[in-house]
Amino acid sequence: MVRNESEKEVCLFSQEQLDSIEAGYNDWFNNVLKDADRQEELAGRYNTHSGIPVKLLYTPADVAKVDYAKDIGFPGCEPYIRGVYPNMYRGRPFTVRQLAGLGAPEDCNLRIKYLLKHGATGINILFDLPTIRGYNSDDPEAEGNVGHCGASVDSIWDVDAYFKDIDMGAISTSVVTHLPSTSIVIPGMYFAVAEQRGVSKDKIAGTCQNDFIMETCVGSGPEILPPPVSFRLQCDVVEFICQNYPRWNPISYNGYNLREAGTNAVQEVAIAIANAIATAEELVRRGLNVDRFAPRMSFFWDLHNDFFEEIAKCRASRKVWYKIMKERFGAKSAKSMLMRFHIQTAGVTLTATEPLNNVARSALQGLAAVFGGCQSLHIDSFDEAYSAPTEEAALVSLRTQQIIQAETGAINTVDPLAGSYYLEYLTEEMVKRIFEYIRVIEDLGGLVKAVENGWLHREIANYNLEYQKKIETGETKVVGVNYHRAEHAAAKEIEVFEYPETFSRQKAKLDRLRKERSPQKVDECMKVLRDKCHSDENLYPYTMEAVKNLVTLGEIEELFREEFGLWTFPLIS
Amino acid sequence: MGRPIKVVIAKLGLDIHWRGVYLVSQFLRDSGMDVVYVGNKFPEQIVEAAMQEDADIVGLSTLGGNHLTLGLKTVKLLRDAKMDDVKVFMGGVIPPKHVPELLDGGVHKVYGPDTPMQTIIESVKDAVAV
Repeated sequence: MVRNESEKEVCLFSQEQLDSIEAGYNDWFNNVLKDADRQEELAGRYNTHSGIPVKLLYTPADVAKVDYAKDIGFPGCEPYIRGVYPNMYRGRPFTVRQLAGLGAPEDCNLRIKYLLKHGATGINILFDLPTIRGYNSDDPEAEGNVGHCGASVDSIWDVDAYFKDIDMGAISTSVVTHLPSTSIVIPGMYFAVAEQRGVSKDKIAGTCQNDFIMETCVGSGPEILPPPVSFRLQCDVVEFICQNYPRWNPISYNGYNLREAGTNAVQEVAIAIANAIATAEELVRRGLNVDRFAPRMSFFWDLHNDFFEEIAKCRASRKVWYKIMKERFGAKSAKSMLMRFHIQTAGVTLTATEPLNNVARSALQGLAAVFGGCQSLHIDSFDEAYSAPTEEAALVSLRTQQIIQAETGAINTVDPLAGSYYLEYLTEEMVKRIFEYIRVIEDLGGLVKAVENGWLHREIANYNLEYQKKIETGETKVVGVNYHRAEHAAAKEIEVFEYPETFSRQKAKLDRLRKERSPQKVDECMKVLRDKCHSDENLYPYTMEAVKNLVTLGEIEELFREEFGLWTFPLIS
Repeated sequence: MGRPIKVVIAKLGLDIHWRGVYLVSQFLRDSGMDVVYVGNKFPEQIVEAAMQEDADIVGLSTLGGNHLTLGLKTVKLLRDAKMDDVKVFMGGVIPPKHVPELLDGGVHKVYGPDTPMQTIIESVKDAVAV
């Protein structure tokens, strides 16, 4: 749908209709509404989660200025509010992408096969904390965390074991590497294994997370690289992968974990997009054309409790991205302007009290994600507040997705809630507020600066304090916890997934690896990488060469810490 | 009590989730306690901080599954260092079936998700009053 900007605005309703609607509204408000209800409305006590005032009633007058064709449009067309593809889920149902990661890679291999057998169409692979933070399983820092909350990956051998007997050319894999410093290593292991198995580069499909906000703000850790370094590595990953692996999304701007760490819906989207803007500026500076990399940038949103605000957020985020790519970066390709995103339901909303209630919470959030037009979805498991998901809980999540897809009819028509006066009002309001918050960040000197000086950490801490106070006072209701409080909670005994042998198995593998690899080759790779850290060159080719020669994740990360130095996380007192 | 209750709070090992631990630190501080949040630390470092700060209470936060390993190790190192009267609190995502083992190992209290802040504040005050 190509539009001419000079066309005059065509509003949904004529002035005559609007006048009559306004008169009708005033009559209703003053004469139909009871006095007490009118007073309550005037007190303005209702807000969305992010603080947008919510009226008792929305009418066409609230969307009077909306020009349908220009402001909302058609799916697969500018400004993409209604979705990124013309026929949306009829043509391409959202990918049912559940997480799989626990214990050693060999254990995860079984879980992946289990999920694929039950109809999952994509795989998210998760790592344990040592892997996430870049330590080998036998490093002293890894003690007590090997194989918990995700799988250990120390070397290319582990990626091979993770995908044993799985056709890496036939699946799409999300490699949840959070940090740029590990995204420059672990996906490289994945590419190398796939290529060793004869999968051509154009068949390797997936996503890695690669977000410097995760490295320096959302997650804390004992040893953290400075924000400008992490940002550089983030850009190295995007640049290298765009030039070599056409079906791999080299970055997933992680609004999700920002939200879980403590932001509202506006901040979540604005911060993630501010990072995308910073990346785009850097890659353009490096000489890349925006249409070369923008189509491969993807986003990751949280789906929290406020049903309509969350749907509005998803729709608004597409419009914001479209405008930025088109107007600010001058993108020519429509693919550059499409915001594609994965959604995970909000783990932070799940309770330990009466855990089965979480099935209901997650199902509603999952439905909202589909109304928001997500490209892939993970629904959290009901045992989230106890441990990483058990097989039973993982299956309930998978089934919830399939119920939404196959039984509710929600995917049969595109963007079915469009046209709701409330939703369209909220969507425009979110667009406005997201742009305003991006502006705040840019006025601070950009996102890297806002992280370096601790501003973003303080924003998160402030949000959390306010949110927690509302829970403590009962202003924010949590069913079973501070509202209709469960007297005899934790009725369900939750099994905990455990693989106690992970450490010894990983250690034995590392011992064998160190014996079998060539020390000369390892030294050579490490020396080159060390030198290149201080050049302007992209580091990816050098980390990839290293992992092919059996250099471990922990060794590369240690090298980064030595060469780049460490940064002190703000908020420590 | 002549001085405010002194609390040293740490994020245990590599666990990345700082939302809860920072909130608890803020609420305890707002209730009048002297709180030192030391960030991500390993057991040896936590014991050292507790010693330097002359802590009454050590708070350990983990959502990363290292409660039985690093959590219990911290308690043991405190006892080895003769800091017997320092009470250890733990919070985070801790499976209920692991709680008895933590309590047997010398952890004073374990608080999971959904715990009201007031409960934690009262519990810390009670632990020091005993």
